[in-house]
Amino acid sequence: MSTHRQFLLPDLGEGLTEAEVVAWHVGVGDEVTLNQVLVEVETEKAVVELPSPFAGTVVELLVADGATVRVGAPIIAIESTADAVAPSGPPQAQLQTQASDSEEKVPMLVGYGPSAAPPSRRRRNGSGHGERSADLPDHAPTAPTAPTAPPRPLAAPPVRFMARQNGIDLADVTGHGPGGVITRENLAAHINGAASEPPHTSQADGETRTPVRGVQKHMAEAMTRSVATAPQACLFLTVDATPTVELIDWLRQNRHFEGLRVTPLAIVARAVVLALREHPALNSSWDEATDEVVTKRDVNLGIAVASPRGLVVPNIKRAQDLTLRELTAALGDQTERVRSGRCSTDDLRGGTITLTNVGVFGVDAGVPILNPGEAAILAIGTLQRRPWEHQGKLALRHLVTLSLVFDHRLADGQQAARFLRDVGDVLADPTNLLAFG
Amino acid sequence: MATMSLGKALNSGLRRAMEHDPKVVLMGEDIGKLGGVFRVTEGLQRDFGDRRVIDTPLAESGVIGTAVGLAMRGYRPVCEIQFDGFIYPAFDQIVSQVAKLHYRNEGRVTVPVTIRVPFGGGVGAVEHHSESPEAYFAHTAGLRVVTPSNAADGYRMIQQAIASDDPVVFFEPKRRYWEKGDVEDEDDVDGDIDGERPPAEVPLGQARVVRVGSDATIAAYGSMVATALDAARIAEEEGTSLEVIDLRSLSPIDFATLETSVQKTGRLVVAHEASVFCGLGAEIAARISERCFFHLEAPVRRVGGFATPYPASRAEQHFLPDADRILHEVDRCLQP
Amino acid sequence: MTTAPVRVPGRKIPEWTGFDGLVQLISVDGQRTVGCPYWDLVADVDGDQLRDLYRDLVVVRRIDAEAMALQRQGELALWAPLLGQEAAQVGSARALRPDDFVFPSYREHGVAYCLGVDPVQMLRLWRGAGLSGWDPAVHGIATPAIVVGSQPLHATGYALGVTLDGADSAVLTYFGDGATSEGDVAEAFGFAASYGVPVVFFCQNNQWAISEPVRLQSHTSIAQRGQGYGIPGVQVDGNDVLAVLAATRLALARASAGEGPTLIEAVTYRMGPHTTSDDPSRYRARADDEEWRVKDPLARLSALLHREGLADDAFDHEVASEADAVAATLRAGCLAMPDPEPADVFAHVYAEPHPLLQEEKEGYLSYLASFDEES
Repeated sequence: MSTHRQFLLPDLGEGLTEAEVVAWHVGVGDEVTLNQVLVEVETEKAVVELPSPFAGTVVELLVADGATVRVGAPIIAIESTADAVAPSGPPQAQLQTQASDSEEKVPMLVGYGPSAAPPSRRRRNGSGHGERSADLPDHAPTAPTAPTAPPRPLAAPPVRFMARQNGIDLADVTGHGPGGVITRENLAAHINGAASEPPHTSQADGETRTPVRGVQKHMAEAMTRSVATAPQACLFLTVDATPTVELIDWLRQNRHFEGLRVTPLAIVARAVVLALREHPALNSSWDEATDEVVTKRDVNLGIAVASPRGLVVPNIKRAQDLTLRELTAALGDQTERVRSGRCSTDDLRGGTITLTNVGVFGVDAGVPILNPGEAAILAIGTLQRRPWEHQGKLALRHLVTLSLVFDHRLADGQQAARFLRDVGDVLADPTNLLAFG
Repeated sequence: MATMSLGKALNSGLRRAMEHDPKVVLMGEDIGKLGGVFRVTEGLQRDFGDRRVIDTPLAESGVIGTAVGLAMRGYRPVCEIQFDGFIYPAFDQIVSQVAKLHYRNEGRVTVPVTIRVPFGGGVGAVEHHSESPEAYFAHTAGLRVVTPSNAADGYRMIQQAIASDDPVVFFEPKRRYWEKGDVEDEDDVDGDIDGERPPAEVPLGQARVVRVGSDATIAAYGSMVATALDAARIAEEEGTSLEVIDLRSLSPIDFATLETSVQKTGRLVVAHEASVFCGLGAEIAARISERCFFHLEAPVRRVGGFATPYPASRAEQHFLPDADRILHEVDRCLQP
Repeated sequence: MTTAPVRVPGRKIPEWTGFDGLVQLISVDGQRTVGCPYWDLVADVDGDQLRDLYRDLVVVRRIDAEAMALQRQGELALWAPLLGQEAAQVGSARALRPDDFVFPSYREHGVAYCLGVDPVQMLRLWRGAGLSGWDPAVHGIATPAIVVGSQPLHATGYALGVTLDGADSAVLTYFGDGATSEGDVAEAFGFAASYGVPVVFFCQNNQWAISEPVRLQSHTSIAQRGQGYGIPGVQVDGNDVLAVLAATRLALARASAGEGPTLIEAVTYRMGPHTTSDDPSRYRARADDEEWRVKDPLARLSALLHREGLADDAFDHEVASEADAVAATLRAGCLAMPDPEPADVFAHVYAEPHPLLQEEKEGYLSYLASFDEES
């Protein structure tokens, strides 16, 4: 049995790409023996005689005299006899039915294979060989010394930079990336005080289950802790704050307050700060571990704010050192930061007393829960015109109810009442600011 | 246990290796009668004879090429290249022959050649006597490259290098030849700082935490280890806690020890005498960036020589990193 | 061809090494020369052994020709032909004793053949299927040296080892005329002379180092270049298999007798190109080739055999058939040679485990496994 074979032009000299046919030494129909010289070709380097890899009969000369042929292209077809050894290497392929002419054979620069480099990437089978650019910190280091310090937060350099810019300690942030890495989203969520991913709710049997995450989780923990540790009592005071409303109108025209948004909250904040001078117990905290009362010199005034993602309580540091104007500005600034999600951890930590403006929700009064670690929280209800006694007659006055919840370990009813009274007095008559301040 | 200089420790290690294996043969210029220009082979020709401690003609390529043939005959040659700057004539025999013979012969031929080279500067020497060519050899597959920083390591590592069936380029920090340290008896060799490991052989390729710290890691080798320790002592007084690692092996590099340290400290400074550009610090920085990306507080910093030939000796203090330059890089790492 | 050690009387050595001029025992037209003292060194070579030598020459030439053809057919990436140098290689190789060791360059296929290396295995490195083809310890010959002039130092070191062992074997190293310009070769001469080791430096001066004629490499005969080192030199007609045999026997005997190194210059001619990538027509004239064609080593031994009635047409035919058979086996073996596996790239870099290599190998193999099977 004989086989139709083609001799493909090999790379004759370590990187040649083509050769020119100089002279054929055989013709169609000739019987040729193994190694018999078939043709002379000229390459960049030399004129070379090509010996036949097969014994057999010449069927066709595939390149004309003088023509240039590329490495890997067939130059001659030979009907080879039975005992010719079948080559296993790439070059001398048996003629396949799929036309080898259709396959674009690009000359190899080194070596002797004729096939072209495939134009596209090889297909992956998904056995997943780490396509991440950096190794994940989930491998166990094999060195003998084990680290004794607690594991450090893991984050890519840009995330660390972002944290640093926002004054956030990464140790406070939970990482949800692979291997516990803190991703950019995790950090952003922390900054905004909210969960990064929308909770994956599941529904079944008429119930919707929502995983507890982010702010809600944080809030739940804080509230539970607060109630569990501190005995909380509450006092209410309803005040005719009409003079405060008038003061605010006047301040809004005052050139010193130009550009600032003055609110009753600012007056309350100033009143609270001044009242705390007389009643420092309400700016303290209870240290269980050492059985000590820690009285804080600074009033870091926390203001509960509704942010797009939930309740946040940033605080204004050292509010006692701020004038009314500065306090007003700080309040406005803080609100803005919370709204745009730019609060830092520092803003959210270190508060000593909290104000919560439940009035914006249209509510009169409430019994808020203490911010853990603080002695008091003051809720300010809605400011509304209601009938009240004024100068012996019934009149419509601007009334507001203040609700003070306090830690009964740190203050008793009398202390708390006096403090509340002092704050209320300012609202009833802002001239008292001069008396205190 | 004895206190001795690095040079003496190497001498003892060589002696031990020669006693242990009659196939160990030393070759090099001036190693016989003179005992070597640094006296590292002192007394060995007297005790082992001139067929085991062989003075060679002045031809570095000849020394290494001859060693290849000797190794093929079943010997364990320990060649000395007199100074770092003179290794280059032998470069071809080292990288084309010594490094590749095992591979070329598909495992049938081993080349257990040890090539000892005093290296580094800081000794006020003339040209070509203060080079740090280790990167060329670490970059060459088939070679192992190691360098002891102290007497105890020198004593142990020279014996391990000789006993290894692989070729080892053994760089000896000449600046530290005369510095003394405690050397354990061979039965009691323990390389670890905390003493928790049982007294067993520390593998030749293993790095060592020579000082535990928490704020940043300094990786160094050869003569730089002592400099790094100086820097760490100064830093401690300033309130910064530095961990210092002696790499000991440059090919392979013990990345596991480095990674564990960087995972702890988050900061790495690599210090070597060799030029920073394309030096070993570059490989370490790349690797640690890949492996500890999420642990790094700052990029890996490198401190080393400049992209210049080694300068005249009266200016060498500008080229060689000192404690200040190391701490300068540490400061950059610690910057917020 | 037996390689029994030949007794080399010590008293005659100065006569032999003192012989000034080209050692030739068979003239170009196939006659035994008269008056050369080297005849004594091959007095034992009878008709059978002469025929064996001729058979070696023919088979070696045929192996070389077949390898050239295989390269032209794309089965080998490269081949360095030894055409014209068969006698230099066979004559010297047949002088070796079983315990001797050889450090070749990259053209000594004839030497490897005489030492029992399977010709198919010789092709491995030229085909690119591996970097070597045989176990040096089994055949007593090192892997071919591609870096010109690197191996004489290895031979010197090996010979030093022989001395340290107190053994009496010898080491033979081959290199070309071009190599004698390399510093490493000079260093090898220096070391060998200093230590007086049993090494024979065998230079095949085939007149060309690629395109550079030997005159560019040396202004004395190569045999004289050893004198500067105190190494006696012998210049021998490299196309005269008997002369080469004699000279090599002498040198090996000197070596094992503890008399130190010898430098043999075998004057021959590289009839073919430097390698299959080379084109000699660019730098040398056909006339030079023709001048050397009449000095062909096979032709002259054949003429001697026929002249002395030691060979006839039947013998010639038998030898040719044997050569053809060897060539066919070579071709089949070459075509059937398996390609290396990816894992082979990582094998034998080190004798002892190496963590980085392990990691890279595992990484690459799992990377390869992540692709679909090629259809």
